[in-house]
Amino acid sequence: MINCEFDRRRFLQWMGASLFAAMTAQLSLESLASAASDSPLAAKTPILVLVTLYGGNDGLNTVVPFTDPHYERARSNIALSHSQLIPFTDSLAFNSSMPSISALYKRRKVAIVQGVSYPNPNLSHFSSMAIWQSASLTGLSSGWIGRWLDQQPHSPFNAIGVGSTLPPAFVGVKSVASMVDVGGIQLPSGPVASVLPRLGHSSSSDVALEAAAASSITDLFSTAHRIGPHIPKSPTGSWIGQQLSLVSALINANVPTRVWEVNLSSFDTHTGEQGDQNALLAEVDAAIGAFMAKISEGSRSTDVTVMIYSEFGRRVQSNASDGTDHGTSAPVLLIGNRVKGGLYEEQPPLKHLDVNGNLKVTTDFRAVYGGLLHDVLATPVSDIIPSWNKALSVH
Amino acid sequence: MRLTPLYEQRLATARLLHRFNFGPTPGQYKDLLARGLEATQSTVLVHGRHDPGIGTIKELVLGDLGNSPSGNNAAKSNAFWKRIEKDSTDLVMWWLDRMVAAHFPLTERMTWFWHGHWATSISAVTYPLTMKKQNSTLRSHAMSNFEAMAQEMVVDGALNVWLNNNENYVQAPNENLAREFMELMTLGVNRYTQNDVAAAALALTGYSTDQSNGTVTFNPKEHFSVPLGILGATGVFNGESLAKLVVSRNDNVQFITDRLWFRFVSGSTTPPASLAGSFAKRDISSLVSALVHSSAWTDPANALVKSPVEWFVGACRALKVRPSTLNAGDTQWLLSQMGQVPFNPPNVGGWTYGEAWLNGVAFQYRFELAQNIVAKGDLAPLSVQPLNMVQACADWLGVAEWSGRTANALTLALATPSELALAAILSPEYMVSA
Repeated sequence: MINCEFDRRRFLQWMGASLFAAMTAQLSLESLASAASDSPLAAKTPILVLVTLYGGNDGLNTVVPFTDPHYERARSNIALSHSQLIPFTDSLAFNSSMPSISALYKRRKVAIVQGVSYPNPNLSHFSSMAIWQSASLTGLSSGWIGRWLDQQPHSPFNAIGVGSTLPPAFVGVKSVASMVDVGGIQLPSGPVASVLPRLGHSSSSDVALEAAAASSITDLFSTAHRIGPHIPKSPTGSWIGQQLSLVSALINANVPTRVWEVNLSSFDTHTGEQGDQNALLAEVDAAIGAFMAKISEGSRSTDVTVMIYSEFGRRVQSNASDGTDHGTSAPVLLIGNRVKGGLYEEQPPLKHLDVNGNLKVTTDFRAVYGGLLHDVLATPVSDIIPSWNKALSVH
Repeated sequence: MRLTPLYEQRLATARLLHRFNFGPTPGQYKDLLARGLEATQSTVLVHGRHDPGIGTIKELVLGDLGNSPSGNNAAKSNAFWKRIEKDSTDLVMWWLDRMVAAHFPLTERMTWFWHGHWATSISAVTYPLTMKKQNSTLRSHAMSNFEAMAQEMVVDGALNVWLNNNENYVQAPNENLAREFMELMTLGVNRYTQNDVAAAALALTGYSTDQSNGTVTFNPKEHFSVPLGILGATGVFNGESLAKLVVSRNDNVQFITDRLWFRFVSGSTTPPASLAGSFAKRDISSLVSALVHSSAWTDPANALVKSPVEWFVGACRALKVRPSTLNAGDTQWLLSQMGQVPFNPPNVGGWTYGEAWLNGVAFQYRFELAQNIVAKGDLAPLSVQPLNMVQACADWLGVAEWSGRTANALTLALATPSELALAAILSPEYMVSA
C-alpha cells in the first residue's frame, strides 16, 4: 500500500534548512520571563519525560510472551519468530527492533509494568486517550499534568510539549503548558516586533480565552529567550529522535522544566502490522538509546524518568489483513538511571481473555501515574487524580 | 461589565459572522450593525443559491493517477509523486480560495465543519481526486439531511480507505469503520456495545474502493447477507440500511446537536434541551438556523478559539487576499506548523479545539502567515483619520471591542497601516472569537 506521508517531515524536506532560522536579537526585555522562572532547575530536581505512542501500540509484539503456545496460535501471521526476539526471561522477550531498550533493561534501568489499562476498556482511541490524558474515568476535561501545573507558580517552563499542538494531558483548569518545536524558535522581526510583546500583556477585560491568547504571545518571547540558544541547530534522524534530542539538550542546559512530552503516531496497525510496528519501535528504541546516553553524560543523569505508553494494546487474535484490531491492556515502560529495573505486576494470561477476546487488565494506569506523582513530581496523588491514592513505585 | 445593549449587539454580530461565515468582508460588520441582529441572522444563513464569489474560482479538475509505478523506475516514480504533491496543493488552495471568495460562506463553512466531523486524511488516502470526491459529497449534504449524508458517507471511497473497509472481510472482519462510524460520526461513545460494532462490521463487508479515484463497488458475494442483531434491530444490513438504523436512534439527535454546539457556540457550556427539537427530522439547516437564532450569542461564556484555518480565512476575507496568490508551499507549511491543513486532520477524531490552539510556538508561525497576508492585503479600510484608525480597525475586522491593552499596542503602530493591520489580526481579540 502506498502511503503519501503528507506531514511535517515531508514539509521539512520540501522547505529545507531555511526554516531553521537563527534567533533574532530583537528581544523585548519587558516581555521576558521573571528572574524566578528564568533560573536554572535546582540540582537533583526529578524530571518526567512522557513518550506518547498514538494509535494503540501492540504490547504483545513489544514485550513478547514468546513461549506461550497461545501467542503463536492466536497470531500466526504476525507472531515474531525467534530471530526477531531478544529474550530476557524464560517467557518474555523484547521485539528485536528494541536493542537499546533491551540493553538498558539488562543494566536494570527499565521497569516494565505489565497489563496496564483502565477498568472496562472501551476499545476507542479517543475515549481511551482521553482517559489516559485526563487520568479520569468520568470525562474530566483537564489533563493530569495540567492539574499539576495549576498548583505550580506560573511559568511557561513548568511543562513543555514538543511540537506545535498541546497534548490534552498538558491543559489544566487555569494553566496550559508551553510548546517548543524541533525547528527552533523564530521571533517576529521588523518594526512591529516592538508592538507585539504588548499584545501579550494581560487586560482586565479579557475573557479566559483572550487571556490565554495573550499569555501565549508572552510565552513565545520568554521561551525564545531562555530556550532558543540551546536548541540543536540542524535536527537529524527520525521525528521521535529529533524530539528527544531536543529534550535532552534542554534538560542538560538546566532549563527549569519538570515535565516534557514527545510523541509518535501511526501505531494503529490494523493491516501489515509487523513491518510497520517494527519500524516504529526501532525509531523509538534508537531515540531512547541516544537520549539516555546524552542524559547520562550530563549533570541530570539520575534525575530523569521516561514513561512510554499508548492508549491501548491490541487484540490477541490477529486479523486477516496481517494486523490487529483495538485491544486493552499493554505494558508501560519506565526508564531512567534511578529507576529500579525489572518486571512489575502480572502479565495477563493469553488463554483467559475477556468476552471480546482481549487481555484482562492487571494494573490500573492510575497506579503508575500515582508512583510518578509521588516519586518524580513530589505531589500527593489524590490532589491530582480524583478518588485515587494508589502509587506503584519503581524508584 | 461591558454588557450594554450596544456592546451585546456588537458581540452577537461579530460572533455570528466569524463562526458561520468565516468573518466579515470589508464594511460588512458596520453595515450589519446598522441593520440589526435579525438582518445579521438572515444574512449569515443564506445558502443554496448561486454564489457570484464562488463563481470566480476556477473549478479544479483532477485526473485519476492510477496505481503508483511499480518496479524501480525512479523517474516514473518521481513524476508520480510530484503529481500527487501538486494536485494535493492545488486541492488545498482551491478550497481555501472558495472559503475566502464566497459571498454566502455558510455552505463552505458547514462543509468545513463536516470535514472535521468525518475527519479523513489524505495522509492515508493519498489521492487528491478521492479526497475531492468526498469533499463534494460533504458539500452537497452540508445543509440538507443528515440521514442522507450518513448513508452516502458510510460508503464514501476516501472514508472506506481511511478506516480500512477495504480490508473488512466476512471471514475476517475489520472493525475500524464500524466503530468510528458509530462512535465519532453518528452516535457518540458508549451508545452501542462491542457486539453492535462486530455486527456492524459484518454489515459493511462486500464494499471495495478503488483508491485512486474513490469509486466504491458493492459485491453481494463478498457481503455478509445473514440476519444480524444491531442496536436491538434484526435484519440483513448493508451500509445504507445500517446508516438508516443508526441515524434513527435518539442518541443521534443528542450527538449531532452537541457536536454543532461544541464547534460553533462553546466548548464550556451545553446546549439547551430545546435545541434537539430542531434536529428531530435530521434536517441540518433547521438545526443551524436554531443555533443562529439562539440566545447564546450574548452570553460571555460562549467564547471560542478560532482554529488556524478559520483565523487564516477570516484574515484573507478582510484583507481581500486570495490564498492561491500566496506562496502555496509557505502557506501549507505554516498552517501545518499551526496544526491544521485542510484534508489532513491528525486522526479520525478531527482537530483539537480551544486553548490547545494557543501556544507560544504556534504564534511564531501565525506571525509569519499574517505577514504574508498583509503584504498582499488591501488596506483601504484604514484610510481614515489617525484618530479613528483603531476603531476603524475593529469595525473592519469584526471585533466587538478592543481591550485597553490592544488599543494601546495598535496606537503605537498608527504610522504604518500595514503594521497596524498585522498587529490587529495577531491580537488576542482576533485570534479568539470572544
